[in-house]
Amino acid sequence: MSDEQNENGKTPTTNPPESGASAATKPAAEETVAPLIPAGLYGQVLEMANISVKHLGPDATGVEMIDIAPADLLRAAERLRDQHQFDLMMSCSGIDWKDHRESVYHLYSTKSHHYLAIKVTAVNDHSPSLFPVWPAADWHERESFDLLGIHYDGHPNLTRILMPSDWLGHPLRKDYKVDDPRLVWNER
Amino acid sequence: MSIQDIPGIFTEQGLKTEDLVVNIGPQHPSTHGVLRLITTLNGEVVKDMVPVIGYLHRSKEKMAESRSYFQYQPTLDRVEYLSSFFDHYVYVSAIERIANLKVPKRVQYIRMITMELNRITSHLLWFGTFLLDLGATSPLFYAFREREDIFKLFEDVTGARMMYNYYRFGGVNADLPPGWIERCRSFIRQMPHKIDEYESIVTKNPIVLDRTVGIGRMDQELCMKYGVTGSSLRASGIAQDLRKTNPYCCYDEIAFDVPVGTHGDVYDRYMVRMAEMRESCKIIEQCLDRIPGGDNQNVRNKQAEIDAAKAAAKERGEDPKSVPDLDPDWLIQGQKINLMTYKPPAGEAFTVCESPRGMLGCHMISDGTPKAYRVKWRGASFSNLSVLPELMIGNLYSDLMAIFGSLDVILPEVDR
Repeated sequence: MSDEQNENGKTPTTNPPESGASAATKPAAEETVAPLIPAGLYGQVLEMANISVKHLGPDATGVEMIDIAPADLLRAAERLRDQHQFDLMMSCSGIDWKDHRESVYHLYSTKSHHYLAIKVTAVNDHSPSLFPVWPAADWHERESFDLLGIHYDGHPNLTRILMPSDWLGHPLRKDYKVDDPRLVWNER
Repeated sequence: MSIQDIPGIFTEQGLKTEDLVVNIGPQHPSTHGVLRLITTLNGEVVKDMVPVIGYLHRSKEKMAESRSYFQYQPTLDRVEYLSSFFDHYVYVSAIERIANLKVPKRVQYIRMITMELNRITSHLLWFGTFLLDLGATSPLFYAFREREDIFKLFEDVTGARMMYNYYRFGGVNADLPPGWIERCRSFIRQMPHKIDEYESIVTKNPIVLDRTVGIGRMDQELCMKYGVTGSSLRASGIAQDLRKTNPYCCYDEIAFDVPVGTHGDVYDRYMVRMAEMRESCKIIEQCLDRIPGGDNQNVRNKQAEIDAAKAAAKERGEDPKSVPDLDPDWLIQGQKINLMTYKPPAGEAFTVCESPRGMLGCHMISDGTPKAYRVKWRGASFSNLSVLPELMIGNLYSDLMAIFGSLDVILPEVDR
């Protein structure tokens, strides 16, 4: 299984041009791809507010995806909530891209009915928490921390939520060993 | 010397009391699954509450990374076993959007009919268990009577009462059996009268009113803060229904209303769900009228006609392709694919639908291999449960089950 998983993991990083989602993982390749990706409207609006945004184009359902640097994240999130009516934080999914971790926040507006996906690359597995902007992020970020080991700075209670509190490792990481003898329940 | 003279027994406010920590669950009949609530009580008033979840964590997201797309699908029934058509819908539609698969209209209508029937069964179970939590036993039996009727309809279509595994990438597993549409129609016609029956027992019952009106009030701001969606959000007065605001399948062709409440209390959540069942009946009735091809027998007859015409054309020495094929909207599979080895191209999708509990989302990242790179579930119950401490703090302990029941949380979906 491990061989096959390695193979799976490599494909998005070594095969950049087709999909905007996986292109984000390789900066060198991205320079050639960037002009092909159309700038989304919300990304342009944020750029006007002096927030540096990397446009990742729409996903398969047409949801605009933007990549925001961790330093600008809170400012961008506040702006999206206050000015652009993104009142609902739907989910925060962590993704393990092998060499780095990434959190994707899916936002929805109950007023304009638009979706938006914000991607944040964790620097050394640390990423700013969006709890101050959307308290709904509380449990979602705890889940990402629990399963992927992304530390959200500024989160009031970053503890394990789904796994037992004494669990070892972060199960959704690609290098997680499923058959580690230390993980057998009866032997702990 | 009297007892008042002993230091440490009385304070200025009266008898000295200490907070009591009550551990509710994990095994508790009213928690609809396995949920632990560490509750701090001051007398009968809840001072603090910490929900502990994860007892039902079955690593559904990790399982997606070690199974092929089709192998993973049957396990989705267990993510949320009361309304599993919705889980299947978001999963299948994520793949359809990534791979750009065509979905025939007949399939869309079959999906709408089954999903709305599923919404009724889910709300019926909620209706029964919610009132059971409040201490009323009989509504459960009324609710399960109709629920069983719908399960019989499901069994005819999918072969299973609860674990359906019916949707396929770009289609459904099998067509509706002959005569099913008529049976469904006759059931749906009598369903509103059954709902009247439930309401006559419950809606104006003085005990129910005492225990629900003004209890667990949730304003719009609180809902938005915690990401509460679905009927609980609509009970607070926000008409947010994805079927209306961001239509999927063919909901834009159907006329229906979005019921909303005004106060956002337990009673309003009850009223909104009862009204939603009536709306679902309306939707199903329109779908049964509008489904392309109509009954299965009609589709079969048409196919036989076309086959005969093609054979006749061949006999006459003409090209059989000159005879028009069956309308592609009548098919139950958009394009033939080998399910066992199916893999969508690399891509990313976030699909959402309006499940009975709220917005159910599936974030899928495919890297072009036969296994998904990442599947993340956005369960509506997960966010809906996180608001519980906020609603409970300062309220009476006896209101806990009324408030928790009214949120319609299902724990397998919280823990996945």
